[in-house]
Amino acid sequence: MPAGVEQEKAVSGAAMEIAVSRHDLLRELTATQSVVERKTTIPILSNFLLEADGDRIAITATDLDQSIRTSCAAKVKKPGSCTIPARKLYDYIRLLGDGDISIKLLENHWVQIRAGRSNTRMVGMARANFPQVPEFPESSVTRIPVASLRTLIARTIFAISNEESRYTLNGALLILKAESLAMVATDGHRLAHIEKAGESFPGINGEKKVLIPRKALQELQSLLADTDADSLDFADDDSTLFFRVGHRVLTSRRLTGQFPNYEAVMPRDNNKFVIVRSQDLFASIQRVAQFADERSGAIKMRIEQNELKVSSSSAEAGESEDTIETPYSSDPLVVGFNSAYLIDFLKAIGNEGEVRLEFKDAQSAGQVRPEDASDDYKYRYIIMPMRI
Amino acid sequence: MGRIRVLSDQVANQIAAGEVVDRPASVVKELLENALDAGATRIRMEVEGGGRKLIRIADDGCGMSRDDALLAFERHATSKIRSSDDLLQIATLGFRGEALPSIASISRLELTTLPADQPTGTRVEIAGGKVLSVEDVGGPPGTTITVRDLFFNTPARRKFLRAETTEMAHVTALVTHYALAHPEMHFELHSATHALLTAPPVREATERIYQIFGRDTLDQLVPLAAERRFEHAGLPEPPPWRRDEDYRPPDPGYLRVSGFVSKPALQKLNRNSIYVFVNQRLIRDRLILHAVTEAYRNIIPPTSFPVLLLFLEMPPHEVDVNVHPAKTEVRFRQQSLVHDFVRESIRATLMKARPAASFVEALTATPRAASSLVPAAGEPEMPGSDPVAQPEEAAPFALSAPVPRPEEVRLPFSGSSMVAEAAVEIQPAGPVPSPASSGANGHACSQQILPEGAEGAPSLASLASLKPLGQLRESFILAVNDEGLWIVDQHVAHERVLFEKILRERKVERVNRQRLLMPMLIDLLPQQMAIFATLAEELERNGCEAEPFGPHTIAIKAAPAGLAGTELERMIFEVLEQPGSDSQSENLETARTRIAASIACHAAIKVNMPLDPARMEWLLAELARTEHPMSCPHGRPIALRYSWKEIQRAFQRI
Repeated sequence: MPAGVEQEKAVSGAAMEIAVSRHDLLRELTATQSVVERKTTIPILSNFLLEADGDRIAITATDLDQSIRTSCAAKVKKPGSCTIPARKLYDYIRLLGDGDISIKLLENHWVQIRAGRSNTRMVGMARANFPQVPEFPESSVTRIPVASLRTLIARTIFAISNEESRYTLNGALLILKAESLAMVATDGHRLAHIEKAGESFPGINGEKKVLIPRKALQELQSLLADTDADSLDFADDDSTLFFRVGHRVLTSRRLTGQFPNYEAVMPRDNNKFVIVRSQDLFASIQRVAQFADERSGAIKMRIEQNELKVSSSSAEAGESEDTIETPYSSDPLVVGFNSAYLIDFLKAIGNEGEVRLEFKDAQSAGQVRPEDASDDYKYRYIIMPMRI
Repeated sequence: MGRIRVLSDQVANQIAAGEVVDRPASVVKELLENALDAGATRIRMEVEGGGRKLIRIADDGCGMSRDDALLAFERHATSKIRSSDDLLQIATLGFRGEALPSIASISRLELTTLPADQPTGTRVEIAGGKVLSVEDVGGPPGTTITVRDLFFNTPARRKFLRAETTEMAHVTALVTHYALAHPEMHFELHSATHALLTAPPVREATERIYQIFGRDTLDQLVPLAAERRFEHAGLPEPPPWRRDEDYRPPDPGYLRVSGFVSKPALQKLNRNSIYVFVNQRLIRDRLILHAVTEAYRNIIPPTSFPVLLLFLEMPPHEVDVNVHPAKTEVRFRQQSLVHDFVRESIRATLMKARPAASFVEALTATPRAASSLVPAAGEPEMPGSDPVAQPEEAAPFALSAPVPRPEEVRLPFSGSSMVAEAAVEIQPAGPVPSPASSGANGHACSQQILPEGAEGAPSLASLASLKPLGQLRESFILAVNDEGLWIVDQHVAHERVLFEKILRERKVERVNRQRLLMPMLIDLLPQQMAIFATLAEELERNGCEAEPFGPHTIAIKAAPAGLAGTELERMIFEVLEQPGSDSQSENLETARTRIAASIACHAAIKVNMPLDPARMEWLLAELARTEHPMSCPHGRPIALRYSWKEIQRAFQRI
């Protein structure tokens, strides 16, 4: 029984004992703690696993669907490992003053933490109970530029379905080609698609599609925000996705299932378009949406001779209309949308520059994209209209 | 010799008796109606052995002369109508002239009658339809009929009688109903050993309900009163040239309804607690029952029934009671007018009253198979019903379907606001009746006058003033106002809000619909496909655009705003569910509300969903603006209240 043997070792192999800088430890705990389940029914999952070896201490957290493993420098007096209640440890370390912290494993899973004049004991659980976390495979690793992936995630993550049961929509699809990188997400009403050309992925032949769960994307987003590295390592196997950002490794269980055929819904002949400034449109929609139906958030967009009118009305709140001047000379058109969907998009592009709104008719999908030719990113946002 | 013979009167009467008198309760009914028709103000009944042994009914009505008393036992002899024209104008409860001879032919009957203005009365004894003796007697004015050994000469009928207690229950129920219909009269019902019902005259039906059922039932009822003029749809009037000089168009008269309807919190598993009186006659009419069910649709669950006391009044020519000898069925001349009037009156009453359920009541207020006719609440006010004191005598009150005692799930401080079943424990002031004193005690109980409503009737009208405090397990909103602490189920509250909004939008064809990026394909069973075909148009108008996509698949292209993914799919399946056994009768209106209810349910805020304070305030405000804020379209309660008084009482502050 390996578990028994390991437990034996943890007890007999005497206590782990280390000293670590509070600043370093706190930084790594901060990066890790979001994975720890708040409302877990499996007690061990609300613990950090600490493993001291050589001159580093490794910290691992997992909720079984995903895990983060990180490490920081430490003075290891006695190598070993222990588990500590994550929430308590994190909150406690945050309250300590800067300086060195010593962590020592005592008998019966008690852990002693000393820092300056503070002395604390908490009880962890048997290390052997901590689930096995997948190891980063060193084969078939793809290097992805951090900046590109950061942008891709930020501009698609909001369109992922919130509905847990439609699990193929609970993630974004990452598409790796030899010279480009793309991501697409949808919830069945709108779809965000972004492509970055001018990349180079020598290991990729043809096309590689990976469906990444929303939760993993959120973790990845914070890891990417907190790194100086230029690129990250990505790898996958049959069941798991691996992302290595600096010294931190995020793993996530793969989402299986068929992502919808998004290419079929991309509009091709939206020949009526207007170009407006993002901030004008954003402000107008925000104002008008105050008077939209509470449930649907429906607003009407009317384009006619050189203007775009945004309007709403509801029996409860009243009605409202904003007019934005913009060149337009084609046939007038009225089309309804959920205002929240447009606001999501405008927020994602940072409310800057100009956007181009492209329509065909009141029943067909509308397309919105940033009007900025210089950008390497090809970003498209497709929204289905509402009949109001 | 021919084989066909004319039957003797006696046999004919026995046959007629089969129609009129099928159990002791029908004898009581006939005799009671006679007493009422005679203008009695005080009626005393004694029933022994479930009515088989003895039924005696004494009234202080107009009485009969000697000749009339004898004639009364001839078949089709009646004082109530004279010609067939009178059948159009029946203002009395009886009229067929069948009851007395029928009863007389199957029992040993003794009639003592004395008209008020004559010095001597008459006593007639009849057995099995044969007059045994006629003699003069003295006594108080009025009529007393004693029926002994009912069915003694009709073994077939006797064989089919139910247990004594069952028959007794029917009698009790019947008398209760008539007592309710005539609050201005004195009713007494006695069994061999004790009084079952004692109801001195009171001014209003409210007080009579209090006398009979007690405070707790009364608290669950909302008074109802409405009237409208009859329209002259199709009543033949003579053409102008044939009218007399002094012709006046006949007065169409009024249709009035009064009575009591239960709050949604009070639910029964059968229709037995719906009492309908037409011109003070107890009837069981499908039309009215349907109107009642319609009125409560989307207020209480479809499998539950309300408690109702409805008194319909209309000119006699508007209703035909001569449909069946038992006269429990009637025909209305203007059926749909009566139906819609009843439905709308009940709806309007409920809408206006906005009754709020008390939390304590809701705990025990599970719908139950109510006793056949007497609501369980009748127990405390009926002396002798104390099961501890008189278990065997209490049996009649268990009635045909004994009411299961509720489990004792109550808060310890329930106090006297408990619902019906617990009422046995809350005897009104006065000693607990002992077998010996039960009669007197019953009288004492019934002497109680209706207490003034110390606490304003709980009403949801004050919902608008609620201030949310927070959520209980992210499922229930806790809110307070001056009236007390309220607990609002966030899901059903939102469901109610959406339901009414969807119906409103549907009416003006302004349903917001969100087109789907990719059509959603749903596989259906063959019968679901069939139902889909019938409902597709209505679904479309509710914002759900779907079309067949192959033989057993539909493709949804647009959905009502706010409904997506699985919820949309579930909604579709729910709507396409075989709508019960009476599917044929599902009309468009019903389908429409069913679809709206289904959409509302699936689009509404769920339980286990955190809400910020602004959203809670919004929900409560929206709820306050709905028409029926008391229950969701499926009939569950929305808001329950701990009144300030209950709270104070619980903490022993008062």
